[in-house]
Amino acid sequence: MCGIVGYIGWREAAPLVIEGLKRLEYRGYDSFGIATENGEISVFKKSGRISENGLAPGTLAGHIGIGHTRWATHGVPNDSNAHPHTDCTGAIAVVHNGIIENYAVLKRKLIEKGHRFKSETDTEVIAHLVEEYFQGDLLVAVTGAVRHLEGSYAILVIAKDDPRIVAARKSSPLVLGIGDGEVLCASDVTPLLEHTQRAVYLEDGDIAALTPSRIDVYHDGLPVERSVTGIEWSVDDAKKGGFEHYMLKEIYEQPEVFYNTIKALEKDGRLPMLRIPTEITVVACGTSYHAALIFRYLAQEYSAKRVSVEFASEFRYYTPPLREMVIAVTQSGETADTLTAVEKAKARNCSTLAITNVLGSTVSRSADWTVFTCAGPEISVAATKSFIAQLAVFMGMVNVMADGKFTEILAHAHLSIERVLQEELGAAVALLAGAAEMFYVGRGVFYPVALEGALKMKEISYIHAEGYAAGELKHGPFALLSPKTPVVAICTPGRTYAVMLSNVKEMKARGAPVIGIGAEGDTEVESIVDVFVPVPEDHLMVQTLTVSVVLQLLAYRTANALKRDIDKPRNLAKSVTVE
Amino acid sequence: MQAVILAAGEGRRLRPLTHAVPKAMMPVANRPILDYIVRALEKNGIREIIVVVGYKKEQVIRHLNALDIPVKIVVQERQLGTAHALKCAASLITGEFLLLPGDNYIDTASIARIMREKNAVLTWDHPYPSNFGVLTIRDGYVRQVIEKPEDAPGFTVSTGIFSLEASFLNYLDETEIPNAVNAMIAAGTPLKAVPAENWQDAIFPWDLLRLNAALLQGVRQERAGRIGASVVIRGPVSIGRGTTIGPNSTVLGPVVIGEDCEIGPNCVVLPGTSIGDRTRVEPFTLIGHSVIFEDVCIGSHARVTDAVVGTGTHVGDHATTFARASVFSIEDELIRAKFGAIIGDNVCSAPFCIFKNCIVGNDVRIDEGKTVSGEIPDGARII
Repeated sequence: MCGIVGYIGWREAAPLVIEGLKRLEYRGYDSFGIATENGEISVFKKSGRISENGLAPGTLAGHIGIGHTRWATHGVPNDSNAHPHTDCTGAIAVVHNGIIENYAVLKRKLIEKGHRFKSETDTEVIAHLVEEYFQGDLLVAVTGAVRHLEGSYAILVIAKDDPRIVAARKSSPLVLGIGDGEVLCASDVTPLLEHTQRAVYLEDGDIAALTPSRIDVYHDGLPVERSVTGIEWSVDDAKKGGFEHYMLKEIYEQPEVFYNTIKALEKDGRLPMLRIPTEITVVACGTSYHAALIFRYLAQEYSAKRVSVEFASEFRYYTPPLREMVIAVTQSGETADTLTAVEKAKARNCSTLAITNVLGSTVSRSADWTVFTCAGPEISVAATKSFIAQLAVFMGMVNVMADGKFTEILAHAHLSIERVLQEELGAAVALLAGAAEMFYVGRGVFYPVALEGALKMKEISYIHAEGYAAGELKHGPFALLSPKTPVVAICTPGRTYAVMLSNVKEMKARGAPVIGIGAEGDTEVESIVDVFVPVPEDHLMVQTLTVSVVLQLLAYRTANALKRDIDKPRNLAKSVTVE
Repeated sequence: MQAVILAAGEGRRLRPLTHAVPKAMMPVANRPILDYIVRALEKNGIREIIVVVGYKKEQVIRHLNALDIPVKIVVQERQLGTAHALKCAASLITGEFLLLPGDNYIDTASIARIMREKNAVLTWDHPYPSNFGVLTIRDGYVRQVIEKPEDAPGFTVSTGIFSLEASFLNYLDETEIPNAVNAMIAAGTPLKAVPAENWQDAIFPWDLLRLNAALLQGVRQERAGRIGASVVIRGPVSIGRGTTIGPNSTVLGPVVIGEDCEIGPNCVVLPGTSIGDRTRVEPFTLIGHSVIFEDVCIGSHARVTDAVVGTGTHVGDHATTFARASVFSIEDELIRAKFGAIIGDNVCSAPFCIFKNCIVGNDVRIDEGKTVSGEIPDGARII
């Protein structure tokens, strides 16, 4: 997914396009670029987030501008792969959202004709195709060029000495906004909202020529009318698409994210080739640290690998003996502590593997190997889908270590995740909403799951929640138990089941209200806890996923009941880029 | 012009299929019914689409998010009838608007017809009108809507699709839309009857089979998957990305097969069949005139015809569905219906089962060699 913006009118285009791109950042943020027309085409492009880099005022002049913010899926996000792309002469600039499926064929033909390509992207093909057809009229050239394109596209094209933007779309969104003596266009309505309430939606196969005062739309070469619609959206609505918060939206994306990540790993095929040594050190912070802890338990359970997990922030002061491989886990790929840890590992001659959600991020450039999680841009500060995607990668690795024993189980895990999304949790939320402090307890692999559940609760509901290994509770924290400290206990079937039950009974005896998470139809757990939350009975790995998702939902619903600012919790930032 | 789509209701009579998603999200030819409505509106140039959601709202919202058509979402917290649902959206309605149920199929041409009228209803002649709001019509105008009458005065029924003015919102004190419409007519606003071009409803689970077969007629030929050697494909067949059709299989359209499926080798898929994403059909199996949801696994040597199979269900090897007619009691109504099987979500059946005209609930487990008939409640174990 990428975002595109265009402006034509009486104001300076560059600042308006930049502003629009910032609004589209939720569609992707690993590189950006803009181009303006002012007697000649000037292009500025850069890898990184637009809201952090921005553009020095006055660098690009002109009243016609197009821009692009990228979420790379193929080709790393460096400066040359960023849009806009230009033709050989630099007189035509193109931004594009979508995928050109036949670009390899087109590229070969164009190179035969003498065109020189500067990037690895499919988009550059469009620029050269337009050049091929360009004989003074940009509209005619674009009309000729798009006939060759297969796949999906929404494109904006500008050319030197042409007072127009030409837009075309097929299977990718594009909307035009009509202002007062100015026209804007973008991937969705969010960048338009500040400037106009009047929008024109283009249909598949439409080509439009935009000037400050008018829009001409053509379909199959014939002029057509497209009606003007009023927009009644607020900026936030448009991006969240009906969900109350980004966090809920992202929680609901998890079945798909898990499936896509597992499938991408399989397709990629590098994982089996990667010789996974017997000694692995994982460094991570926050939620990623918990994902790594889960990996530690699973790797030990299903293979003979020795995994140790370290906080990236402590890694610089305490570095365990490193021998073989260091895995760095970070959603953003920019977490400062994790980056330092990778450098330190490299200095000690360890092979390094990064697990990150952002293609081309700093960590992917410094590590020897990189595995990408297919979570898509995550907006909510509290990590949800990136956690599930990291687990998908780790479980994929465990599967490789166990010679593909779990392929079938992992291929169906998204179904169970889907099922727990239906949980109502009303009774549990009512029990927690009044609490000031609480505990999460689990054993075995569910201990890190409990830690993660507690972290989510802390982050967004501001309830002091503490995750504990169930056996450790008796060594101190038991003193804190009272009818005012609810406990969430994970009592799923397996080796830890019997001892968890007796732990729960002990906690009940101290008067603490207990929310029990157990397998569907487990009447024994149901009878001893105050509130029972069922998860589908499944393989241990799948249960770590489903319980994690239930705990995310529990934190979300509790925070919602307490009316907290869920997407932007106080004092927190999405990625921590200082040590 | 605005359009309000009511997609808050569960569709209780479609149980067990509506356990996880509302009726508007029932897949027909691999796309939710709601999709067809939104597309039909889009093709008519209606851009301001308001969808009222309620039952399992996150499922609907998530799906609408994935479309590139922007829609405004309104939540009806409790399902207190269709008039109340419309009331939830009242503050967003500025003028004339179309009102549509989110769970019936309607074609583009019919929308074009009713868009031109003010205060009108799309009508349809139905052979069994008693399940619908029957209209008494004189001189092209509706006199009265009689909701689900035992003795219907005629065969013309309301499709539930209206073109209305904002003033209609004053009549929403009733619980259901038809009552509000009657109140409006009684107050002197005439309601024109406009016949629809193509309208389809699914009231009971087995109606999905008919609806699916009808909408499959519009399937576009598409071959994105990997197709093995000596595969015979005839008629309109759409095969999604990442799907594999094993060698020596036969697929006779109209058929839709979703993404990342694995069919065969040596399977037969007969006309009128939709197979959802990530479904696996093991070798030597025959499927015909059926709706298979997503993530289903159908064992080898099975014969599945006239069946609806829910998400995540596993049908064991050598299973047979056997179509015959019997009487079912649905929401206190006795209905005689003929179909093979309706199987809910996450059902698991061991090999050698026979499904004889049955409705199997969600999460049911069936041991090997059982003959299943009648209605099986959710979570049952057949041993």
